[in-house]
Amino acid sequence: MSEPSIGITVNGTEHQVSTDPDRPAVDVIRDELGLTGTKLVCGAGVCGACTLQLDGTPVASCLLPAAALAGKSVTTVEGLAHPVQRAIAAHDGLQCGYCTPGFVVEGAAFVDTWRAEHGDVAPSREEIAAALAGHLCRCGAYDGIYDAIAAACTGAHDTVEADDSRPPRVEAMEKVTGRARYTTDVQLPDQLDGAIVRSASAHALVRSVKAPADTVLVDLLGADRVVRYLGQPIAAVAAATRAQAAELAQQVVVEYERRPAAVDVEHAQAPGAPVIYPTKPERKAAPNSGEGVPVLPTSWRGNVRGPSSMSWRSRTAVKRIEEAKGRNDSKLFSATFTTPVQVHTCLEPHGCVAAWQPDGSLVLHMSTQAVGEVAERAAKRWQLGEGQVRVVAEHVGGGFGAKTGLTVEAIAAVELAKAHGVPVRVVFDRSEELTTTGYRPGTHTEVQLLADDEGELAALTMDTHGDGGVAIGSGVAALGRLVYGTAPRRLRDFDVITNQSPGSPFRGPGGPPMAWAVERSVDEMAVRLGEDPIALRRRWDGNKKRHALYDWASGLPVWADRPAPGAQTGRFRRGVGVAAGNWMYFLDPGTTVELEVVDGVVVARNTVQDIGTGIRSVITGVLRDELGLPADRVRVEIGRTTAAHGPTSGGSRTTTSVAPAVHDAARLLRKELGVERGSIVDRLDQANGLRVRGKRHRDRRGYLTPFAMNGVAVGRGMSGAVHVTEVEVDTRLGKTRVTRVWAGIAAGRVYNERLAYSQCAGSIIQGVGFALHEQRHLDPATGVVLTDNLEDYRIPGIGDTPEIEVHFHQDGWDHVTGGGIGLGELATLGVAASIGNAVRNATGWSPLDLPIRPDRLLEGIHA
Amino acid sequence: MSIEAVTTALTTALAHGGEPRAGGTDVMARRGVGRATGPFVDLGVVPGMRGIEWRPDGSVRIAAMTTVAEVAVELRDAYPALAATAGALATPQIRAVATIGGNLLQRNRCWYYRNPAFSCFQSGGDGCPAREGDHLYSVVIDESPCVAPHPSSMAVALLACDAKVEVHGRDAVPVAELYSDDPSHDHQLAAGEVLLAVVLPPPFATEHGSYHRAIARAHAEWPLVEAVARLELDQDGVITAAGVAVGGVARTPLRLPEVEAALVGAHADEDTLVAAARLAEQRCTPLPGTKYKVTLLVDTVLEVLARASGVPCDIRDHARRAD
Repeated sequence: MSEPSIGITVNGTEHQVSTDPDRPAVDVIRDELGLTGTKLVCGAGVCGACTLQLDGTPVASCLLPAAALAGKSVTTVEGLAHPVQRAIAAHDGLQCGYCTPGFVVEGAAFVDTWRAEHGDVAPSREEIAAALAGHLCRCGAYDGIYDAIAAACTGAHDTVEADDSRPPRVEAMEKVTGRARYTTDVQLPDQLDGAIVRSASAHALVRSVKAPADTVLVDLLGADRVVRYLGQPIAAVAAATRAQAAELAQQVVVEYERRPAAVDVEHAQAPGAPVIYPTKPERKAAPNSGEGVPVLPTSWRGNVRGPSSMSWRSRTAVKRIEEAKGRNDSKLFSATFTTPVQVHTCLEPHGCVAAWQPDGSLVLHMSTQAVGEVAERAAKRWQLGEGQVRVVAEHVGGGFGAKTGLTVEAIAAVELAKAHGVPVRVVFDRSEELTTTGYRPGTHTEVQLLADDEGELAALTMDTHGDGGVAIGSGVAALGRLVYGTAPRRLRDFDVITNQSPGSPFRGPGGPPMAWAVERSVDEMAVRLGEDPIALRRRWDGNKKRHALYDWASGLPVWADRPAPGAQTGRFRRGVGVAAGNWMYFLDPGTTVELEVVDGVVVARNTVQDIGTGIRSVITGVLRDELGLPADRVRVEIGRTTAAHGPTSGGSRTTTSVAPAVHDAARLLRKELGVERGSIVDRLDQANGLRVRGKRHRDRRGYLTPFAMNGVAVGRGMSGAVHVTEVEVDTRLGKTRVTRVWAGIAAGRVYNERLAYSQCAGSIIQGVGFALHEQRHLDPATGVVLTDNLEDYRIPGIGDTPEIEVHFHQDGWDHVTGGGIGLGELATLGVAASIGNAVRNATGWSPLDLPIRPDRLLEGIHA
Repeated sequence: MSIEAVTTALTTALAHGGEPRAGGTDVMARRGVGRATGPFVDLGVVPGMRGIEWRPDGSVRIAAMTTVAEVAVELRDAYPALAATAGALATPQIRAVATIGGNLLQRNRCWYYRNPAFSCFQSGGDGCPAREGDHLYSVVIDESPCVAPHPSSMAVALLACDAKVEVHGRDAVPVAELYSDDPSHDHQLAAGEVLLAVVLPPPFATEHGSYHRAIARAHAEWPLVEAVARLELDQDGVITAAGVAVGGVARTPLRLPEVEAALVGAHADEDTLVAAARLAEQRCTPLPGTKYKVTLLVDTVLEVLARASGVPCDIRDHARRAD
């Protein structure tokens, strides 16, 4: 059947496109016209990444039939040259950049309309939020977006600014113009699209997999041929288009020998529940949701693994608590806290384009946080020699922990490419993304916290059951070892195995659930002791860096003005809460950075990737400062396999690993050029081809770990954070609004204050999501994930963004080479707990379960 | 293309599992999850299907393909509650494309219906997995075997406005007649029937209107409960006419005549509004997971009554006390 031809004017150029008129317009724009600035994310009109201007009006092109383009004038991000682009770049209203084209296209239309109606004045936050309500940013760049839109409306960015006010994020202009290419945008000659055949059974032995004749089928099952969750990859197929590949995948017939399933923690712990890992080898092969730290062996009872203990004088702790119970001690606080499964929800889905080269080597374009690790593991898996695997991840649309390792989309793409003899792309759809690519495990934590007569911490017990599906390694209670001194404590972690997809590391694994339980409990103790919650923490917490933060926090006017706990009676109640956090210091001590002078430009090379955290800008900034170079004399080549080893972007280890190596390389380059101080710019033209390699020098007194495991060493010292949060609770309609957040961060030297601020703001916004909105819902009978779309899996929008202030306390890290450590995880740990404590302060009701949904709040305050 | 030609095309399309398409925002979303396969017949090709016509008698006719965004702007002065409803639903990009007719006839948003892993009354099956399953967002007035709340916010506002709809080939019918407790359909138009326009009677002499949707985030969320109030007040603050309707609570959008009756003739003060709002509770028959919607319904009704009348009701905590 021939497809009708549609006439469209796109960015001023007329096109005739033959297409199925019912296809979403976004596919026509991206696939037929090659305008890949427009992104497909949710496919449901929720996130706005695909926004186009249709005759000047922004519309969601994922819900627009191609037929609706006929005779219209379309403007995509590539067709815009608008002040709002410079404004978003200047105010750092972006991180990974995947949502940015949508914000730009909408923002441009809004700014023009606003200025026509109101003149060159800034709109209010509420007006901006309402105008951008159809856009989601998972990195949480909303704060900069507010500033950018307001500034653009005043005309502040009408003219191109001078060189010295270049945007804080060096690749910002690429991202606001749609030029930045992500893995999903890669289109190689003869490329096919792959699709995954996924399990329709929650637990079964796969007897056979049959594809239509002449179909190349790539096997993705493990050796035991068992599927243990719905959606588990079984096989992969490829075809000319994604739609055709998906159709082909539908035609693959899988024969299952079904086994009884335990689809949630309740089922899994019930008497007589089917055991998901009955044998030792199966248990050993279970995936791990922790952050690269090997789990220690422990016992199993049915589907429950554990305890893994990190106790300290546990018998004393238990004895003291039992005695306190016996005397009904009011200074014993006991409660059970729960947190939901939180899904990373990277806006760029997992994707890989695999291309075998004529010389037998392999090129992988991949949306990954771990270029170096992927290359190593791919070489091992496909038995390729050194330098025979090149991985490219120029821009990565978010990671948050979900994109590490050699994941299934890469395995499928590589095998399909091998079998078909052409490049193959595998990109997940939103449902796959929200159901099979990992998540922060849910938790159920029983806490007992005892203070003695002097109000000192006397004992702590925590039993946490993690809900990580078929994955083990939930470490929540263990983190209780690192807080509040050395009082006796019993800390036990258990995994409850279910027939659900495996959990995985997510920004500060275990940290937010631990803080939810402990920091909420400490606040309850403060109420019982009648003590200021910050003063109590200051007494219990021996960490000097956090003492500085407590002093800062107690000096905030909002803290002094906080309402008395539970004293308000009106409908709208204001509350202020606090929570502390601390995190380990990880680094990749093997990091090196190569500098080469190429045509008068200093080129920096390292395998690290920028997933929105800003490492490209940090490297640029260090080089410019150290060498006195203008922006056009520095080029950073990262996000690809190079000889200069770079870290995986995980465990907050990127900047502290890379930046000191850049310093070192810059020092060596100066030495080679013989320029002791001042700019080296005059010497570059004579230095073509000069190369140096800088390394990440060892910290003073070394590390806690004698050697790096999987590229990770644990450094000395703990970072610290204190969050003070203000909320407004509508006690009638159940709505909690986070109005203002202050974050005190003690992670040493900050290399780039604007980008560090953006990281912290994004961490706070993800914390707001964890506290109030995000939750994976399962059908209790079948285990099907109901929240497999962005309408039902609810992440914060711009209107849910509080006003944010970040205070960096930069002292205390002199032993660290470069003087600073990571903060991307640290800044999210205590956010939800501080919100919970603020709700408690506002209402007198003590929330125990996240998220604090309207139904729970209403039930809680009226119980 | 004439309306006759479209209905002919539609008859052919229906025989192949197809359906009509207005703005397409619902149809395309369902296409994405396999709940709409086409072929689709675009209604935008019919002349006269878009636009707002003010009539000499004060009534207004809104053609079915008029966008929600246009309704939000054009009717702001005459029908503030309707315009506020239009301005609060979905997102700006959706409102720019979605039509008033399409909004009335969209399919429900139950996460079981929209997930191809399940079969239910709405997708041709014979059960409701949500009833025994996770139904946090389902009905609190349980009068149908299907527990999905009706998704149309515009229908709630139009009910409160006593609007009628024009359907090709028959006399105008009240908006309420578009809907029933039928578990297998979200509206009662026969296959192939085309909704042409919505007709609103003249507004009240002094039209006060308000819309509220109770949601957890600031914007862009399907309502837990939504309510519309239209009030006419005389110089002494006595309510002389009222239209109150709610959504997110039942298989159909609901008008609340008992609440209206308690308002009309009374002085618009806090006690009147609270007493009237509380009457909404009597309809509730919550599911295990929707008990919270009982008080939320009462309080959302109170919210729109307070805002429409300008009587603040924020000081006391009324709805749950038996005083």
